[in-house]
Amino acid sequence: MKSFLKVAMMSAALLSTTGLVHAQEVVTWWDFLGGGDGVRMKALIEKFNEENKGKIEIQATTLEWGTPFYTKVQTSAAIGEGPDVMTYHLSRLPLGVQSGALSEITADEIAAAGLSASDYADSNWKAAQVDGKQYAIPFDIHSIILYYNKDMLKAAGLLGDDGLPKGLDGVDNFKAALQKLKDGGAEYGVSIHSAAGDSQWRIFYSLLGQQDGKFLDDQGQFLAGDNLDKAVKAVNVVQDWVKSGLAPASTEYPASIALFTGGKAAMHINGVWEVPTMTDLKAKGELFDWGAIALPTFFDHPATWADSHSFAIPNRVGNPVSAEKRAAVMQVIAWMNKNSLAWADAGHIPAYSPVRDSEEFKTKQPNATYSVLAQTAVFDPSSVLAGVASPVYDAAGNYLMPAINGELDAQSAMEQMRDDLQGQVE
Amino acid sequence: MSAADIASDVPSKARKRRFNTREVLAALVFVLPFVLVYAVLFIYPTIQMILLSFQKAPLIGAGTWVGFDNYAKLFKDKLFGVAFWNTVYFVALTAVPSTLLALAIAIGINRLKGWVQSLILACFFIPYILPVSVVFRVWGWMFDSQFGILQPLIALVAGGNVPVFRTLPLFMPTVAFITIWWTIGFNILLFIAGLRNISPEIYEAASIDGTSKWRQFARITWPLIWPVTVLVLTIQLIAQFKIFDQVYLFGNGGRSDATMGLVQLIYRSAFQKNNGGYGATVAVVLFLVIVVFSVLQFQLLRARGGDNK
Repeated sequence: MKSFLKVAMMSAALLSTTGLVHAQEVVTWWDFLGGGDGVRMKALIEKFNEENKGKIEIQATTLEWGTPFYTKVQTSAAIGEGPDVMTYHLSRLPLGVQSGALSEITADEIAAAGLSASDYADSNWKAAQVDGKQYAIPFDIHSIILYYNKDMLKAAGLLGDDGLPKGLDGVDNFKAALQKLKDGGAEYGVSIHSAAGDSQWRIFYSLLGQQDGKFLDDQGQFLAGDNLDKAVKAVNVVQDWVKSGLAPASTEYPASIALFTGGKAAMHINGVWEVPTMTDLKAKGELFDWGAIALPTFFDHPATWADSHSFAIPNRVGNPVSAEKRAAVMQVIAWMNKNSLAWADAGHIPAYSPVRDSEEFKTKQPNATYSVLAQTAVFDPSSVLAGVASPVYDAAGNYLMPAINGELDAQSAMEQMRDDLQGQVE
Repeated sequence: MSAADIASDVPSKARKRRFNTREVLAALVFVLPFVLVYAVLFIYPTIQMILLSFQKAPLIGAGTWVGFDNYAKLFKDKLFGVAFWNTVYFVALTAVPSTLLALAIAIGINRLKGWVQSLILACFFIPYILPVSVVFRVWGWMFDSQFGILQPLIALVAGGNVPVFRTLPLFMPTVAFITIWWTIGFNILLFIAGLRNISPEIYEAASIDGTSKWRQFARITWPLIWPVTVLVLTIQLIAQFKIFDQVYLFGNGGRSDATMGLVQLIYRSAFQKNNGGYGATVAVVLFLVIVVFSVLQFQLLRARGGDNK
């Protein structure tokens, strides 16, 4: 035992001296970016390490997206282990703060890193706060968009002279357009991932936002008052597409993409994160001419569901991230934001306004076309029950998804969803 | 008679031999690593889990004592009822069918000879080595409601494509079928080992006496393979009560409240909703259910098997 201790102490000493020699801060980084965006993030990290050689080095680990990631973050923070910085969904922030996994980022730290609230869209910056305290710095805004097949839309007379779709705004207009596309030979007017609650939640929440509906109001009531009626109206829109055979019923995620890329569906509603899929297919010559625009306005005004990848610092109990390390972490966060143009290749919209307003971004297609949605984005309700892989997502699977597919009546589905979630409030 | 009386009855010489210090020490050295690991990794967490079920506690960190509140909540929780019956339903769909099917296949394979036997056995065993994610992907695509290779067959019966994993009455039977396909190889292997242990001489003697094949099975094979059957059934029962992966994967995003099993309820309560106390309560109840079922089943079947002999 004694000799083991000796070895341990010697190696610890050795490590600390090598640390001194390099005088370099090593920032341990965790993310959940395993897909096409992960490849782009790794490139960004490499670029950072290259530019900051001898000062800061990021050592990154990618973990499983969703509940596994957040469970690991929470358990490691509770025993004083874990990273110095991590990616975090803003929608998941309230639960992270409640479970004590996140460390507050002070105004001084933000200022010292050269960042400021005015560099971000207001709704985005606020979504990074819980009870007025900042727990994260937004990195991107990601949302759902409407992908379209240019040839099919053109044939149906739905393409304007500017090459963008026209006549899609309004519930009836959109349905008429779907019918035209179907009549023109498409198997479906629009393909949607209708077999799961998460994708349907994103469409539903956009349609609710377009009517100024509140899913969760300030008094903590789900779908209170006329919000229920607005929710039912939102459900009816998509239910109608499926019932009329204009959108596929109970279709899984990969199949919903394949329906579009295989030319069976003229349009496709999905997240911006599938932009690399289309870009890559096109580059290989395996895809038709395609485009993407922000979701049409079905109701009163534009609004689209959105979430943000952000950066957060864990609250490591008994082993807090040191002040020097925190400063380095803030440098990393600021650098990533300022270099987030590369991140737009993954389809995401940079959260950092100076990048979003830059010439380079404005000429990046199709991002520039749909990035207007950032102005009217509606973020998930700020609640421990909402966000990625949350009870709200589960409820969407239990009630919203069957309603879309005609298994449940929209009215009773929304009432059940409301009662279920209200019953989970503690 | 007290313990001391019994001890004094034993001649001191014999006692010395039986409790030889060096032997005891050696035994301890051999047993200790296991006992330690077992205590640290099983006994201690189990006690903690039981204690946790009496607390209102997050997934991590201290909780407050609430007595039997969690248990009271559990028996009023509609979801617990659904999860319980789903689990029992799944066990009924898998445990006995999988055991009987494995026996039938094993008897078939046992009649084959040489490399044909090895090949067929391998065919049945290969799915068992697949990770659940691969099983999920393979069957997910085969049953896919748009592009699934099985849909033309389904359309012959149903008149159109059927989203099998999004049709509630079809969900559990389909997942049970896939589970049997996936795990039956191991049961077959156990049965083949059991069948090979039956001496060919018994069958020879029976054939000379002119016994029919069916009587051979009923009078020789079935009684002699009975202990293996009990073992397979018990392993199956315990494994299927802990059903999680397949149901979670195939049901993810869908009507998970209607398809969830008990382990999924534990996962959701503790890991997703950060309610460690309630998750532990469900776990304790599942633990008790499995203990009761498997002890009962093992005892009952063993007793019956004894009668047959």
